[in-house]
Amino acid sequence: MRFAEHTRVRQEKFGAVVFETLKEKVFVTNEIGAKILRLLEQHQTPEEITTQLVSEYDDSPDLIKKDVQEFITDLINQSLLKKDDR
Amino acid sequence: MIENELRLSEKQSLPKGSIFSDYQAPLFIAWQLNADCNLNCLHCCEEAGHSMPDELTSQEIMDFCQQIVQWKIPYVAISGGEPLLHPDFFTISEFLRKHQVALKAETNGVFIDREVARRFAKLGFRSVQVSVDGVKPETFEKLRQGGDWQKTIDACKYLVEAGVNTEIVFVPTRFNIHETGELIDLTYRMGIYGFYTGKMMQIGRAAHNWNVLSPSEQEYERFFKVLQDKQAQYDGKMKVYYYPYDVLEELKYRLEYPSASILVIPNGKVKLIGPLPFICADLRKHRLTDVWRRYQKAWQLPQVRTFTKQVINDPSLLRESNRWQELSVN
Repeated sequence: MRFAEHTRVRQEKFGAVVFETLKEKVFVTNEIGAKILRLLEQHQTPEEITTQLVSEYDDSPDLIKKDVQEFITDLINQSLLKKDDR
Repeated sequence: MIENELRLSEKQSLPKGSIFSDYQAPLFIAWQLNADCNLNCLHCCEEAGHSMPDELTSQEIMDFCQQIVQWKIPYVAISGGEPLLHPDFFTISEFLRKHQVALKAETNGVFIDREVARRFAKLGFRSVQVSVDGVKPETFEKLRQGGDWQKTIDACKYLVEAGVNTEIVFVPTRFNIHETGELIDLTYRMGIYGFYTGKMMQIGRAAHNWNVLSPSEQEYERFFKVLQDKQAQYDGKMKVYYYPYDVLEELKYRLEYPSASILVIPNGKVKLIGPLPFICADLRKHRLTDVWRRYQKAWQLPQVRTFTKQVINDPSLLRESNRWQELSVN
């Protein structure tokens, strides 16, 4: 997965901001969202991100998996993130 | 321009990131690179024409660019004057694009030929925004004095040909407001990405020429109706965007919710917002983090709040917007 051409991500104290510069829309997220964005920037897969978060947080793996999936789906639906062609 | 649309994975009310002071640095910089301009538009907000004697040097400009990259400013719009008259325009653009900063250029288009259009394309500009204030040469050239409608339209064609995301911006006046619909149709036929407009702001030369230029309320009513219809007509095909509020409504809103953006003028001074005369920082004296801190504090100053309320009650004070007043910010 990769961020779309016009997506810019910046880490902030509260979490992160995602700026879709073509549509000029700004999205914000909390610290966990920011962590997922950082891992996406490092080209980690959703499965790898889930594994990483499960090792760091006490929530159930199923809940974390669901949250990661929902978050990534949100990013894709907003055209902020693209699935790789291959 | 910039708004919170969706809070990914966070559904609580008023999460962090909702107000400008939550951010470590601006999200957007509007950078008036130079005051020099080859045109003498009757409605120019910046009253551009000649260079300022104290504009930033090339070295100061590049130092600012480095700070933009360091603080991960996502998006910068470079305007002027006419930015393509600035000798460092492409050096700046190359540097910022190399570091993934999204860039928009706001230009009158006169200096864009096929080769320049290809340079924009190669650099991957987010967009190039060209001012086209009319669908007929005579209307356009009456308002944009010294301008050349055909050259401007050709510039748009070259940009589209080169694959540059091209936008047209249109300022309605008494001279051209009746051409709005026709211009949107032309914009679409040219393969332009988006058409942007809104009420003319009573600042700069527009304020001085207000009685000659300002459309009537009835004309504005028809204008917004045309825009609504065209927006529906081109839905999914071309972006037709219009800002429905006037500058006073904008100021009322910004007094409560300042934007997460700064406006840099050619001499490196940082304005609080275009329609107000206040300077809150100076790039020659302040680093970007300090600029951002000063910007946030400045919005709270009684001097700013009182004057803004006065402007809202007496729009003629907007004439002061380019008579800068330096604020004392600690």
